[in-house]
Amino acid sequence: MKIEGSYNIAAPRPLVYEILRDPKALQECIPGCQELTLQEDGRYLARMQVGIAAVKGSFSGHVQIADEKPPTSYRLRIEGSGGPGFAKGEALVNLVDVETGTRIEVDGDGQVGGMIAAVGQRVLLPAARSLMNQFFGCMQTKIEAAARG
Amino acid sequence: MAVSRIFGAAVKRREDPRLITGRATYTDDVRLSNLAYVAFLRSPHGHARISRIDTSRAKSAPGVVAVVTGQDLAGKVNGIPTAWLIPNSDLKTPTHPPLAVDTVRYVGDAVAAVVADSRAAASDAIDLIDVEYDPLPVVVDGEKATQPGAPQLHPDVPNNVAFRWQVKGGDVDAAFQSADVTLKQRLVNQRLIPNAMEPRNTVAQYNPATGDLTVTMTSQNPHIHRFLLSVILGLPEHRIRVIAPEVGGGFGSKIHCYPEEAVTSYLAMTLDRPIKWTEERRENYLATIHGRDHIVDLEVAAKRDGTILGIRGRCYANLGAYLSTAAPGVPTILHGLMMTGCYNISALDYEVVGVFTNTTPVDAYRGAGRPEATYAVERLVDLVAAELKLDPVDVRRKNFIPKTAFPFTVPSGLSYDSGDYEGALDKALQMVDYKKFRAEQSAARQQGRYLGIGFSTYVEICGLGPSVVAGAVGFQGGLWDSANVRVHPTGKATVFTGTSPHGQGEETTFAQIVAEELGIPIDDIEVVHGDTARIAMGWGTYGSRTTAVGGTAMVLAARKVKEKARIIAAHLLEASPEDVVFANGRFQVKGVPERSKSMQDVALMANLAWNMPKGIEPGLEESSFFDPSNFVYPFGTHVAIVEVDPGTGVVTLVRYVAVDDCGNVINPKIVDGQVHGGVAQGVAQALWEEAVYDANGQLLSGSLMDYAIPTAESLPSFETARTETPSPVNPLGLKGVGETGTIASTPAVVNAVIDALSPLGVRHIDMPLKPEKIWRLLPTA
Repeated sequence: MKIEGSYNIAAPRPLVYEILRDPKALQECIPGCQELTLQEDGRYLARMQVGIAAVKGSFSGHVQIADEKPPTSYRLRIEGSGGPGFAKGEALVNLVDVETGTRIEVDGDGQVGGMIAAVGQRVLLPAARSLMNQFFGCMQTKIEAAARG
Repeated sequence: MAVSRIFGAAVKRREDPRLITGRATYTDDVRLSNLAYVAFLRSPHGHARISRIDTSRAKSAPGVVAVVTGQDLAGKVNGIPTAWLIPNSDLKTPTHPPLAVDTVRYVGDAVAAVVADSRAAASDAIDLIDVEYDPLPVVVDGEKATQPGAPQLHPDVPNNVAFRWQVKGGDVDAAFQSADVTLKQRLVNQRLIPNAMEPRNTVAQYNPATGDLTVTMTSQNPHIHRFLLSVILGLPEHRIRVIAPEVGGGFGSKIHCYPEEAVTSYLAMTLDRPIKWTEERRENYLATIHGRDHIVDLEVAAKRDGTILGIRGRCYANLGAYLSTAAPGVPTILHGLMMTGCYNISALDYEVVGVFTNTTPVDAYRGAGRPEATYAVERLVDLVAAELKLDPVDVRRKNFIPKTAFPFTVPSGLSYDSGDYEGALDKALQMVDYKKFRAEQSAARQQGRYLGIGFSTYVEICGLGPSVVAGAVGFQGGLWDSANVRVHPTGKATVFTGTSPHGQGEETTFAQIVAEELGIPIDDIEVVHGDTARIAMGWGTYGSRTTAVGGTAMVLAARKVKEKARIIAAHLLEASPEDVVFANGRFQVKGVPERSKSMQDVALMANLAWNMPKGIEPGLEESSFFDPSNFVYPFGTHVAIVEVDPGTGVVTLVRYVAVDDCGNVINPKIVDGQVHGGVAQGVAQALWEEAVYDANGQLLSGSLMDYAIPTAESLPSFETARTETPSPVNPLGLKGVGETGTIASTPAVVNAVIDALSPLGVRHIDMPLKPEKIWRLLPTA
């Protein structure tokens, strides 16, 4: 499942990068994230409560930020499993300077299995897009607030 | 007193009052004290290694009694066996562990079981089992799985080929060399999901003091399940009682032996508590067998006048991840042998490749192999007609096995018992008014409307079957059946059948058979089935065998009772047995009808035994064990009339005519009911139903929201009629009718849609004929 998106943020690129990368902001903005703990291997241990269509449940898994090229790009890897099945995905997050500030470009690919795949497949892409929009919408609020000082 | 015949009467189903008022007892209605509940954790991956399972959190969850994994069962619960070992093939039978041990091979493969005090606690604790999977490459397509480099499911099965099997008869090369025309076509017979109204269910209870295990379960064949549970659990057969109470439909899916029933039984034995497993609907989609799933490449050779000379081809039969109970026999014996249909086609060469893939196991689903064969043959006949610009009705008529030719041996070696294929076709043509329809069709085409008519002149093999043939084709069981007729002192009767009906209505039809034979009212007869402790032996209900085999055993047992009763009656009438006849429901002295005894009079005396003829034992009870000499071959003509919406591609089934010949009919209302349900299922395959997997082995059509079951709104009122060509195989001239609807209807509908689209040059579309596929072919698209 391919997923793409772009978001314009009224803030300079280094600030956008810094906040996108901030564990506290990540925890507050990942939809349904209940816990995000940095592990020794650099990955975050995550617990999330997610609902797609009629399937709701808690996932536990890992969030990893890799290939960091501040303040330009990084790769976000998420994998989790739980009662409703499993989900994993990887996205390249790329930051580009624009006149009004910074454009975040996301190019991702994901896979789900188990009950979410069986029951939620028809609504999966719109649901994933909605989760992504929630995440970046939340980040935008935080970043632009920080930019305003 | 004249007694009207009850054999042949449209008696209302006596099962229905309890079923429609909620008074029936299904397995899930069984309540036992101290009952615990089991739930299964299932793989979310199509194919993966299990690198670690941690059950500690689940074990300490509230209400949890036990958690077991595949490792825990190793050496204690044997593998799930296959019971159809087809001969003349290189069949491989890889181990099917009751719970996955180190590898999961399909989404839904059971990995662990949790027993808890409540169903909810068991379900909740499932989520607390931590499993680490290392995903492996996945293959879901039956043909691609055989290609070099495809992911391998079982270490001892190279290229995932479970078997190669071939049927060959006649001179195929000569047929193709002498043909005026040859055609090739690939046909995909998509995977379906049975969707019985009641999912599977099991309640297992073990008494450690006696060593007796009682398993109440959703079974179509309790004696087969008893035997297989004995093998899996290592428990002696006589210590196991299997009860199939009310069973809410099966369509084949409850024939088979699955891991869950065996694991539930094992847990009841080891935990000293009765245990229930209730399959959820979404589990049913993953863990209960699927049906069909063939990719077939066919070639047909014909003469210019429409005479079909030969068929050759290859079928990739997707078997899923493991061999289910009857899986090897379905696409071979029940499919390949029927690949010349009702036609006098003298040459056949057909190979079936059974293939493992990362999907739910595939096994017998209503029709089981025969719908796939009928679809292939009936599509080929239409393709030949279209190529030669002949009327598909004429091509059928030209190739029919003539009614004078029976018994008729087809190239596969089967001997069809009786038939009058033209008789059924003529009746159907008359019902649809074929000439008038063709005129309407041409007029409609002028207006840009797409009307089509499709025929399916089918024959099927059922009434399974002669046990000697069962043995010869590798079925690991017999196919005879038993009946016991017990007449009580008051003249009421309890009769027992070794078949195990689960919705088809044999409690009514078998009572009709016995009432007819014994001259006692139908309401005085109780039909008992589905309990290994009450029934001597039987092979169950599938393959439309219940009436043709079990019903015949029933009539033979009743006739034995009648003969004994006649001798007792003669004694009571002080007449010689030769002078006593059974007429109008009474035993009478020939020519002196006022000297007579009723069955009730005789039953009382037989049970009291105060005054018995010399050498006659007390009691009035007889058994019969009937093994048929051949299968039976019902046939008929189904006709579909459709209209395709030129704007949307939506197909509307406008009319559906079914003329079936199932031999003599015991109860026309019940036969109609079987035809209606079967046609609905078969139409649904043509137009809507489809089990869809993605490339990762995820079942995308895994719920009633996503899998397109037909509804009344999508179907017209079916018009049914019959011809009656008795079978010579059994004394009542019966054939089966449980599967004819699904076997016949699918190609009738597809042929009708292709006929509708023929002005656009459309030759074939694979099922289901969804609006999108058709819309893309329309000029408006």
